[in-house]
Amino acid sequence: MNRSVKRGAIRAARMTTLYIMVIGVAMIILFPIFFLVSLSLMSGYESYYEWPNPLIPAFSAKYKLEKSDEGYHLSIYNKAEKRYERFGPEKFGTTAEDLEKISVFVKRQGNSTLKTERLKEEISRLVDRDEVFFSLSKNLLANYKVFFQVTRDAVPSVIRSIYTALTTIAISLIIGGMAGYAFARYIFKGRNLLKLSVLFVRMFPGVAIAIPMVIILGRIGLYDQPLGLSLIYSVTQISLTIWITASIFMAIPVELEEAALIFGTTKFGAFWHVTIPLALPGLAACAMYSFIGSWNEVIQAVVLTQFNPTFPVVVYKVLVGAGAQVNLITAGSIAQAFPAVLFTLLIRKYILRMWGGVRV
Amino acid sequence: MATLRLENLSKRFSKKIWGVRKIDLEVHDKEFIVLLGPSGCGKTTTLRMIAGLAEVTTGSVLIGDRDVTEAPPRKRDVSMVFQNYAVWPHMTVYDNIAFALRLKKADKKEIDKTVIEVAEMVKIPELLKRYPRQLSGGQQQRVALARALAVKPKIFLMDEPLSNLDAKLRVIMRTELKAIHQQTKATSVFVTHDQSEAMSMADRIVIMKDGEVVQIGTPDDVYFRSANVFVAGFIGTPPTNFFNMEVESKYGLKILKHPHFSLELDEQQGRILKNYDKRKLILGARPENIILTDKDKAIFSAKVLVTEPQGSHKIIAIKLDEQIVKIVAPHKQKAAPGELLHLSFQKESLHFFDHETNWRIEQNGA
Repeated sequence: MNRSVKRGAIRAARMTTLYIMVIGVAMIILFPIFFLVSLSLMSGYESYYEWPNPLIPAFSAKYKLEKSDEGYHLSIYNKAEKRYERFGPEKFGTTAEDLEKISVFVKRQGNSTLKTERLKEEISRLVDRDEVFFSLSKNLLANYKVFFQVTRDAVPSVIRSIYTALTTIAISLIIGGMAGYAFARYIFKGRNLLKLSVLFVRMFPGVAIAIPMVIILGRIGLYDQPLGLSLIYSVTQISLTIWITASIFMAIPVELEEAALIFGTTKFGAFWHVTIPLALPGLAACAMYSFIGSWNEVIQAVVLTQFNPTFPVVVYKVLVGAGAQVNLITAGSIAQAFPAVLFTLLIRKYILRMWGGVRV
Repeated sequence: MATLRLENLSKRFSKKIWGVRKIDLEVHDKEFIVLLGPSGCGKTTTLRMIAGLAEVTTGSVLIGDRDVTEAPPRKRDVSMVFQNYAVWPHMTVYDNIAFALRLKKADKKEIDKTVIEVAEMVKIPELLKRYPRQLSGGQQQRVALARALAVKPKIFLMDEPLSNLDAKLRVIMRTELKAIHQQTKATSVFVTHDQSEAMSMADRIVIMKDGEVVQIGTPDDVYFRSANVFVAGFIGTPPTNFFNMEVESKYGLKILKHPHFSLELDEQQGRILKNYDKRKLILGARPENIILTDKDKAIFSAKVLVTEPQGSHKIIAIKLDEQIVKIVAPHKQKAAPGELLHLSFQKESLHFFDHETNWRIEQNGA
């Protein structure tokens, strides 16, 4: 009895420690992402003037309108300082121009909508008192909206990026997959040397390849084109695809294909009906690598595009450009990460199958 | 159903490596042929050439009267059962069996009927919805068998289909395979390295060694009239005992001399050996042809080394100089290690082989 209690206690302690460690590691990994998302939902005021930055973005903001010497001024509640601070110009009048100015300012810095009518109404309440308080709900996704509005051709660049990523997947899977199959199934002279030398192209940094490629792509008319870019990305992706698919195809017994040949398929039919379905997890993993690799790539894209940048280039230019706001940049990077995450989730079924779900 | 003819068939892997050298074989309609030989003898390569999975170096393969040497596997009207089953893991049992029929664009009802029919034949009708990973090895092999039966091929090829199964299941499947063959009457070519499998299933056995055919014959042929020392040693458990003998003549009768004994042959046997006077030959005696006898009738006597009881009978190993001779005795026979046994031969069942060529000395031979 006593012993079993003791054993139970030891097990509980062990489980607790394990969970603490797991949660700790998860926190370390997840916190920067959480902070990034949270920052992307904050207004300019929250992210620059509330220090330390709040962990969770506010859903609304409290404002105070006061009479000043020859007009009015607006304050906003600062949660870090726990007091109202001046927001916008020192004083403004009731002219349409002034009210419009305030409305725009609240929209830009506070991510809230303050219509001029509403502002007039609040001013009219100041007749019998010195100050009025009101709160405005915050538009959480305002940064994303602004990012896509203010950056030059953000939306077309997303389309270009998707196009680039998908063509990279197609090129690298078709060429790399076929090469991988050859490496797995056929014995020929110099096979191992060739397989090693395929990795050779990955040794050069992207910039080193990109600069000569400007000339080559320019000659064949693909400079500043998504297709040209995906050709360059394919060079590095193909070698990875070859290695992954070769090992996948090697794990598929050749008898399975031979059986298909005997039972009525052509060589391509055997490949299509038997090998491809069995290799799907590996091919999905390759597609994921290709997608992430080409979706996130910046350096080569910066060199190889000019008027038709991909989305990561747009984000990068916002980051290094003058007057960039940190909350806008985070919104851009979250927007950039989103498709990669989505794509991974979509093909997770196939990838998970490779890690031990179904044995080939 | 059809005949199969291999003409001068050979396979060369590289300049010096031959897989198969020159095979001529005619398989009759409805016949069950077993290719038997040790590993690396070319029997699987031969089968793969029949199936079209391996290219033919020279010679030709004829199914029926059609030359299919250059035809791809799908145009040969053959089906095959593989050693490692090779059932497709991403398809259910039903889909595996129906695969070939669907490719032929058969009617859906027709497919359904055939699948259920062959599944019942191999006793797996309840497994049709499962995936191969949910099946045992024996069940997977039944699926492979059903898949091969479903296409109703002209030639049925089997590449060591039983060797991945455990010993008990192997014997059960052997019987079932033979029963299925009697039911379907499909011309079959079966590859194995297990001589007892070959003996129990074959109409005719093709014994191969180093890429060449050594003997083609019924199980009785290869057992009782083994073509050479290799066949006599390969077929039968325990294998044939061999003795190097010298031939002498005395009063017109042949006498075989061994350091430990001499054996006097009767007239008929002597005639076979008429050209072997004063020459050496190899005497082959199957374990059951060496019999225990009384001291005065004994041809030789030797001490027991070990006994191996088998239940129904007993194998006794005796030592003659450095050579171990195995004999089969009734299970009641007592033989303690070290005991002296008196032995004789059943003279009419002895085999004689040429000392140089190792080939059988025939009636009118050499």
